[in-house]
Amino acid sequence: MTEVYSIDPLVIKTPYEIAYKHSYGGTSKFFTSLPSGKLMATRCDHCKVTYLPPRSDCPHCLGETKWVELSGKGTIHTFTTLHFSGEKFLKDLPFQLVYVDLEGADTLFLTRIKIKDMNKVRVGMKIRMRISREPEFRSSDVWAEPDE
Amino acid sequence: MPRKVAAVAGGLTYFSKARKDKTQEELAAEAARMALFESDINLTKDEIDGTIVSYFSDHFENQLLFGSIIQDYLGFNPKPSVRIEGGGATGGLAVRDAYAHVASGLLDVAMVIGFEKMSEVNTAKGNEFIALASDTDWDFPIGGFYSGYYALMAKRHIEEFGTTEEQMAMVAVKNRNNAQHNKFAQTNPKMNPFAMKDGGKITVDDVLKSPYVAFPLKRLDICLMSDGAAVLILASEEKAKKITDTPIWITGTGAGTDAMRAGDRARKVGGVPVLPHENKEWYRKLEYPGVHSFLAGRESARQAYKMAGITNPLKQLDVIELHDAYTSSEIQTYEDLGLAKYGEGGKLIEQGVTTIDGDLPVNPSGGLIGSMHAVGATGVMQAVEMLWQLQGVSGKFHGSNKTQVKNAERGLIHSHAGTGTYVTATVMER
Repeated sequence: MTEVYSIDPLVIKTPYEIAYKHSYGGTSKFFTSLPSGKLMATRCDHCKVTYLPPRSDCPHCLGETKWVELSGKGTIHTFTTLHFSGEKFLKDLPFQLVYVDLEGADTLFLTRIKIKDMNKVRVGMKIRMRISREPEFRSSDVWAEPDE
Repeated sequence: MPRKVAAVAGGLTYFSKARKDKTQEELAAEAARMALFESDINLTKDEIDGTIVSYFSDHFENQLLFGSIIQDYLGFNPKPSVRIEGGGATGGLAVRDAYAHVASGLLDVAMVIGFEKMSEVNTAKGNEFIALASDTDWDFPIGGFYSGYYALMAKRHIEEFGTTEEQMAMVAVKNRNNAQHNKFAQTNPKMNPFAMKDGGKITVDDVLKSPYVAFPLKRLDICLMSDGAAVLILASEEKAKKITDTPIWITGTGAGTDAMRAGDRARKVGGVPVLPHENKEWYRKLEYPGVHSFLAGRESARQAYKMAGITNPLKQLDVIELHDAYTSSEIQTYEDLGLAKYGEGGKLIEQGVTTIDGDLPVNPSGGLIGSMHAVGATGVMQAVEMLWQLQGVSGKFHGSNKTQVKNAERGLIHSHAGTGTYVTATVMER
């Protein structure tokens, strides 16, 4: 039976579900390197720019990039504490997001920070990236932890 | 040479958290009827040569090719029509596209039809749909959503420039309280029969005491999510002069872009593209745009000012409707538009420059915080509001003269998507 919420105007429930077979294409190596504990980025030697998230193609010269490993050390550039979110992440609240400035990368990387006392997070704090031992091949497989 | 193009008529619906009484196409019809029949114009529906349809997400209604439904529903077949989509800037891009259609001679009279119905999914799911307009490989899977992204940028603006949560709250108070004189506004229960019950005036204290959604952004720092529609009619010079005695000319337009992931943006020391009234020396040490500023906003303004011959926006503009998705982004946008030096946007609101009685009122309609954010309608709403301001008829349409900026001759509308990924700026004048 169709679920009916109201008669005038007539409002009914219409569910919609979909599963994608999503390819990471040329950036697959970032994810497939995680089980060996490596944080991989891509670099354009011509433009001397290192990208994380990785890009297979350099947006400046449109040349192909190569893979490089990062140390995973860095600092917090900015942070937020979330008390609301999209539906999928409501169960995780509250949690914190940070832009981290990683050694060897020219981009800032958006990730979660896991810390006992959320009040301690500050701009400039030293962090180290952690990698899940059981990767699910999503960007949530990596996160930051304090390193000071 | 492009032809001269004027805005000649506009219409809005009442905006609401949920307009269950009407479908999207019915909302579009409500706004189109106002544009055609409540404006003082000499124009019939049959004289419209084509439409530009402006809506953001196919997900909210789970209907693809909705533009075709609109074109049919409003009775414009078989005339040309195109759907424009560009996230939060959808409406601004649609107005710009309609301008291009008329300026080029492809259309003589064009109708821009903007709408969105966001209420058919719950708020958290709505936030999730909007978050799908961020990078879904990298930023979304960790729990990213727009209030979070803007919070990260706002925190960096605070860190970089000393902007305060009090200054942000002043923006919310300004826009929310302006909306109390605009009958279309979602936060105006006294004049809008579809308004939220807990609307009405607010104070800085109310904003500061409202709960954090994403530190440093609180509930009252954040824009509305709305159902509604906005319709604008543009015409070539020849047609415009026959249609109305008060055509409002589009004299400048610009569009800029930047990286989807804000972390990928440049952080170039001294990298600010300066406006004519600015001095490169001011920003010699500033990393730009970083995550604290919007290069796309600056670029769109630079182009629009150049085209319109504006060399000092604070002095040469009389009114602005800008994309205040967040109080912090209104402050950031003051700087991108060159109304204040980078870093001094917070002071501009503190000094009262952008209040309704200030030197350069910003968002007299109430903007996205006070009036509405029905994404595809938003940028079109701004153009309609600006048309009414410059024609001097805001009071007639709003139901109160308090929103009318006196003797406004030239204004700017600013439409903004993503974390500053697409931004448009358009100058309109008497």
